[in-house]
Amino acid sequence: MSLVEIENLTIRFGGRPALSGLSLAIARGERFGIVGESGSGKSLTALAITGLLPDAAEATGVIRFDGKLLPTDERAMAALRGHRIGIVFQEPMTALNPLMRVGAQIDEALDLADSSTREVAALLQEVGLDSSHAIRFPHQLSGGQRQRVMIAMALASDPDLIIADEPTSALDVITQRRVLDLIAEICDRRQMTLIFISHDMRAVAALCNRVAVLKAGELVETVPTEDVLRRPKAAYTQALVDATQMAPRANHDLSDQDLLLSVEGVTRAYSRNGLFSRRQPPLMAVNDVSFDVTRGEVLALVGPSGCGKTTLARVIAGLDSATSGTMTIDSTPYHGADLPREKRGDISLVFQDPFGSFNPRLTIGKSLAEPLRLLPKLSPLDREQRLIEAIESVGLDASMLTRYPHEFSGGQRQRLAIARALVTRPRLVVLDEPVSALDVSVRGAVLDLLARLQSQFGLTYLIISHDLDMVAAMADRVMVMEAGRIVEAGSPKTLFADPRHSLTKALMAARLPDLV
Amino acid sequence: MRTAWMRHPGLMLGLAASFAFALLGLLSLVWTPYPIGDISIARRFAVPSPDHWLGTDQLGRDMLSLIMSGTLTSFTVGATAIIIGAGIGVPLGLAAAIYGGPVEWLVLRFSDLAFAFPSIIIAILIATLMGPGAANAVIAIGIFNIPVFAQVARGGALTISTLDYVAAARLAGLSRPAIALRHLLPNIASLIIVQATIQLSVGILAEAGFSYIGLGTQPPETSLGLMLRDAQNLFLIHPWLSIAPGLAIAVIVIALNIAGDGLRDILDPRLRRQEVGRVAG
Repeated sequence: MSLVEIENLTIRFGGRPALSGLSLAIARGERFGIVGESGSGKSLTALAITGLLPDAAEATGVIRFDGKLLPTDERAMAALRGHRIGIVFQEPMTALNPLMRVGAQIDEALDLADSSTREVAALLQEVGLDSSHAIRFPHQLSGGQRQRVMIAMALASDPDLIIADEPTSALDVITQRRVLDLIAEICDRRQMTLIFISHDMRAVAALCNRVAVLKAGELVETVPTEDVLRRPKAAYTQALVDATQMAPRANHDLSDQDLLLSVEGVTRAYSRNGLFSRRQPPLMAVNDVSFDVTRGEVLALVGPSGCGKTTLARVIAGLDSATSGTMTIDSTPYHGADLPREKRGDISLVFQDPFGSFNPRLTIGKSLAEPLRLLPKLSPLDREQRLIEAIESVGLDASMLTRYPHEFSGGQRQRLAIARALVTRPRLVVLDEPVSALDVSVRGAVLDLLARLQSQFGLTYLIISHDLDMVAAMADRVMVMEAGRIVEAGSPKTLFADPRHSLTKALMAARLPDLV
Repeated sequence: MRTAWMRHPGLMLGLAASFAFALLGLLSLVWTPYPIGDISIARRFAVPSPDHWLGTDQLGRDMLSLIMSGTLTSFTVGATAIIIGAGIGVPLGLAAAIYGGPVEWLVLRFSDLAFAFPSIIIAILIATLMGPGAANAVIAIGIFNIPVFAQVARGGALTISTLDYVAAARLAGLSRPAIALRHLLPNIASLIIVQATIQLSVGILAEAGFSYIGLGTQPPETSLGLMLRDAQNLFLIHPWLSIAPGLAIAVIVIALNIAGDGLRDILDPRLRRQEVGRVAG
């Protein structure tokens, strides 16, 4: 018999359907994946099963858990969640109480589940954490460790069903792989049913035996994982599978190109002024980094979270200043924020999060025009022309200039962010995780766009990323960064074929298996 | 947006009541049933009747006219104090957020200092220097409002200044004041509007208090607090004379607070984002 049965579930917000007519049956012990783009209704499905839909949602249809209808009474539903369903959320920092030790939080979950047999230490051990972590607070743990604590809490009640909603999308590749492996291992050991929600077909394929593909609130198909990969029936499923493949973009012949940017011994130190920590050495976010960037090159900087790659990007773009060392662009030396105004138009930065990079109160046109202040000689007519050129070059329409950011999807916003970076006709574009906040299905299109713009305008890219597949497809040269230092560099082909440094090896090992 | 307004009946009620009182006050500028200076001992202590809807006071003045005029005084004092408070406090708060360092230290210490003196002390000080009057109440409440708005503006601006579009503006070469005007201020406007609604009710209450102890509005002008003061000796014999202005103050303050709460619910971007966040994906 099925553990979870959903019949004809429809969820509306203010009369607009967000999920329509969904029917699913998930067998006991199955590892079930729900895959789809943002807004496809996959998280809503999970919320409906756990009875956690927002008040504004009107749901119709039938959900059965273990043969019984979900209770309508909130207390009974809470008891069901506490005893039989474990939930792992996307962002462990906000899902954990910052003022409680993690051991106490796991203990609380144990209390709610009325299970006296299991101990906090045993649970921590099961998720691969030392029991000494119990006395720590969430901010003292890394993202991966927090997610492990979340999993331990979900396991506290010894649930029949565990629901993981994008549990790894806030983590870097290495941690992502470890958490996925941990979930698989626990499900095997405990014979638990898993519902795994993701936009990444590869993560789902690595973990699940059956997959439901959702598109815009409708079920496209439900198929065993092997079939999805070998012969997907629906064209949409095929498109999702194809999106995980990154075709290599053309490499560039750089032999006769001159130097654009040179970075010499750049260090960025943060002093740690605690009450009792006078003697602590400063934190070296970037530690004595030197490299050159050739004109027309695509240079990638990879490394785990917290290795200092974003700090380095901000220093190069002129948002932050180096503590020591110099950078030289076109024989103009600078240290970061002292980048001369007339040179600022030559370097631009594309941010990671497409949702935070536009002022919600300004039209797109006004936001895009902002960097043009760096070019005061431009006539109003030329400015207008630049804007239209920039927005059309990223494949959007000039009429969109009068709209506001909330009217655009994540992928469109990232295109607009690229358009803003291009409006001053820069020579060097620094891209900080340009696609990692986007759905897998739109990443390919954005990368294609970046490759096309590069050849069209003769741009030089410095790409910051933790995604090796993307880097392998885009970059001419890769630098691997760990704890503020560059530990290995080379062309992606040679570097990934024969990784020397342990970090490079770990990054390679963490890649999810290819689908085809 | 329309549904958001509909979903908050409290907000509608609060706004409607606040606007009704404000209009009543404004009406007193051009028309009151009787002139408020119209003293007639013959008709004093009249009970509510078709001639005098709310009766008359110990000098035979029409209570409805007094309350209308008193409401206008209250709103004028409260609103002017907000203009002073927001006009000085918001720029201070923004400056603290964008410059940091010594500027921020100064603003915060000034806030602490202003918070440390209750507005009543400031009012007594000003009354000693310049004599009592409505202007005195405005200045005292205004000074009290400055740190409140400075804190709200600084807090909101700090949250927003970590967002990427502010970094993008810095890359685009905008000066810090330009970033504050273009990117920070519009995005904290809703916070400031909500705070202004709350401070209006605080100001009206404070004005009533000042007038009651004789530091605020002086006769022949009138205010709700002054009416309470005039009626206090007669409270046991003619309780209505205290109840009418007291009720007016209570209703105005409650209405403004309900409106402020409701406005916060629909305007505060943090609350709104949470709602969106839960349904996303």
